[in-house]
Amino acid sequence: MRRLLLLLGFIVTSLAAQISFAAESIQDQHIQIQLLAPLSFAANSETVVGLRFQPDPHWHVYWKNPGDSGAAPKFTFTAQNAEVGPILWPYPTRMPVAHLTNLGYDGETAYLFKVKTSNAESLEVSIALEWLVCQEECVPGFGEIKFTRPIVGSLSIYPEAIKKKLEFYEARTSLPGRDSPFNLEIKTPADGSFRVFVKSKETLPEQIDLFPADPEYVLPAQPQVEKHSDSVEFIFQKSNVAKAPDKFEFLLVADGKAYEFTGLSLGPKPTATTTATESASIGLLAVLLGSALLGGILLNLMPCVFPVISIKAVSLLKNTDHRARKKDGVLYTAGVLTTFAALGAAFLILRQLGSAVGWGFQLQSPVIVFALIVLFWLMALNFIGVFDFGTKIMNTSGQLNWHSSFGAGILSVFIAAPCTGPFMGTALGATATLPSAQAMLVFVFLGLGLALPYLAITFSDSLARKMPKPGAWMETLKEILAFPLFATVLWLLWVLGQQAGTQGWFYSAAALLGISFALWLGQRKRAVWKVIAWIFAIAMIVHAGQKIQTAEVDPSSQQQSEWTAYSDEKLQAALLENHAVFVDFTAAWCITCQVNKKAVLETDAAVEIFKTKNILRMRADWTKQDPHITQALARLGRNSVPVYVFYAGNNSEPQILPQILTLDMIRNLIPLKEEK
Amino acid sequence: MKKFIVMSLLTLLSVSFANAEAIPGQSAPNFAAKDANGKPHALTDAKGKWLVLEWFNKDCPYVKKHYGSNNMQNLQKTYTGKGVIWYTVVSSAKGKQGHLTPAEALKVTAENKSAASALLIDEDGKIGKAYGAKTTPHMFVIDPNGMVVYAGGIDNNDSADPKTIASAKNYVSAALDQAMAGQKVETASARPYGCSVKY
Repeated sequence: MRRLLLLLGFIVTSLAAQISFAAESIQDQHIQIQLLAPLSFAANSETVVGLRFQPDPHWHVYWKNPGDSGAAPKFTFTAQNAEVGPILWPYPTRMPVAHLTNLGYDGETAYLFKVKTSNAESLEVSIALEWLVCQEECVPGFGEIKFTRPIVGSLSIYPEAIKKKLEFYEARTSLPGRDSPFNLEIKTPADGSFRVFVKSKETLPEQIDLFPADPEYVLPAQPQVEKHSDSVEFIFQKSNVAKAPDKFEFLLVADGKAYEFTGLSLGPKPTATTTATESASIGLLAVLLGSALLGGILLNLMPCVFPVISIKAVSLLKNTDHRARKKDGVLYTAGVLTTFAALGAAFLILRQLGSAVGWGFQLQSPVIVFALIVLFWLMALNFIGVFDFGTKIMNTSGQLNWHSSFGAGILSVFIAAPCTGPFMGTALGATATLPSAQAMLVFVFLGLGLALPYLAITFSDSLARKMPKPGAWMETLKEILAFPLFATVLWLLWVLGQQAGTQGWFYSAAALLGISFALWLGQRKRAVWKVIAWIFAIAMIVHAGQKIQTAEVDPSSQQQSEWTAYSDEKLQAALLENHAVFVDFTAAWCITCQVNKKAVLETDAAVEIFKTKNILRMRADWTKQDPHITQALARLGRNSVPVYVFYAGNNSEPQILPQILTLDMIRNLIPLKEEK
Repeated sequence: MKKFIVMSLLTLLSVSFANAEAIPGQSAPNFAAKDANGKPHALTDAKGKWLVLEWFNKDCPYVKKHYGSNNMQNLQKTYTGKGVIWYTVVSSAKGKQGHLTPAEALKVTAENKSAASALLIDEDGKIGKAYGAKTTPHMFVIDPNGMVVYAGGIDNNDSADPKTIASAKNYVSAALDQAMAGQKVETASARPYGCSVKY
């Protein structure tokens, strides 16, 4: 009875004194803030109190980790006769804002805190507030909420509406992770990805989400989610800038409940031998090595490699001494394998250092493309007989030359680089995640494949006998084969144009002109001309190289197309809308990619199919180094292009198409939601 | 043949990676842009000098926090006085908040009494995206060899209240003081805070 009277008294006085209520709510630009508290507090108790934030429609406020931009609200408590705090945060949602992701509340929320009372007569709490409310633009605000309440009896008394609100938001605050059936494990494989595996003692719920509480290292952007039989895997983007903290904190949200997991560590640091995630089983390794070998053999037929290899093989015919021939084959193979091993080692070292690289990375630098242009130009001119390189390049005299055979091996690896052929994709992709030793084995097998046809010819007398007799036709063949090399130059110039614009294209063509002139000059008898020619050629190459390094793609020349440029955010956004998406991972320097593009993807028939099925087309252009695309590839278990992926809609598994496309494959794509 | 081997090896050695982000300990992405007076500036021009890049949006409350309190101008004065080049960069796209035409940029610079070396106009967002600038302000410190020594927020207090500046730890001045004295930079990166860059 006494409690009731007191309460009544309190209500009357507080109604009379409007000021005290005014201090319990704030009205400011784009936001209203209101206290959610009981009318009276129970003595010696712990009661949850809240501050309700109501931003204008489409405006938002933030979680404790606000994400890429924005700021969490700040609360400074002063209290008499009570202990107050800390803030209990309801679980947030992800809010993509332009190119960034924020974590917070799109619309109303309430930040809660506990008030611990004594047996004093009344308590007084004031909260100095700072908040930030944003749409795309942000408005900060400052204010104070202040309240005085009696402490009476053993039950806190609430108006019904306030009690309901508090209960609603309290259910969204986090429980300790150890009280949940869930278990989190962080894995950081050598491909640079950051993966969290969620397991449960019970069945895994359908809806499950994970938010990083760390504002710096693990990025707030929507992670890629993969469901496995016993776990759900979250693949987060991580910062390239920030250092990894010692301990991680995540908020897991499942079935409308939130659990806080703190103190998670990365687990043991990977050592040199066990860098990569999972080692392949014997069977899988055999398949990988087999496709590496086959891919290597097929490389011999690629237009960039074929002329060089065939001239080398033909030149061999002149040498009848079969022991010398065998030696030549072994040396060539040694050259190929050494170079592949060296490239493999460079790749593995870069991987160890955390660089996101992939095969073909050599061609992502315009300077290297330029070097290859010069190389192919010189070879083509040599083939067609414009000049001799002192001792002839491809050893056409038939005499065994140690340098020449080993060097030809090195050369063929470099000229093979632009031609990722069929079968190589899977094997090369695996090198991103295999342990170093196994990855190296894949590289060696690729090399072995490349060297194998030539080695076979040098070793097998019967094969050698089947080769046609040496003769004048060999010179003719060499001259003819100059043209695929010229074609390669043309193609690489086009690649360079994509990377470094018309300027880059112009300077390299000018360098080719200069080199050709220098070659002519170098054929003068007097030594002084030779010196001048050398200086001239080197100056031309260095100058062009510098220009190309700083050249930029002219924005006007960038093509307009119906393909959207790939980004993780755009993909996620499209999938959330249950839109089917086809992603083309490509690069200008990748021949297979260009063939597929011209023969399938950009044909009228394919365009028609994409349109009628309402499939969003995205293109991830890897012509230049782009860590986001490298990461996206790594998530698909690849690190070379082309890769073609189809997402049927929301929550669907990515479907990876073969590297050689046909129109039927496009026809057979079935979106989840087919629009009529 | 030997020449080819040499050339091939050179090719291998010159593998260089263009980063899409400025990362402490790595070389800074190159840039070229015109300032409010139409004068061109590039990373290469700053070679041999310390360089600070500051992302700016005149209407962002967090930028106002540091300009209204003269904190930013004081930093600019202190370090340009020591020979540091300081570029204020505006990456807001046309029609977005904070976008500045050259004339407006000159006016804002004068109003703020900015002591920066230049205000670069980056309305296509090229520099911002090359550096991975997320917020205004977002700060980068680059050493005379073109290496990034600091990337992140200006200090450790993401409040919009200028009163918090006095007690906050300023990462930019700390990084400059330490790096210019030849010491190791204690905090080489921190969460950038503020408004999103309006690309």
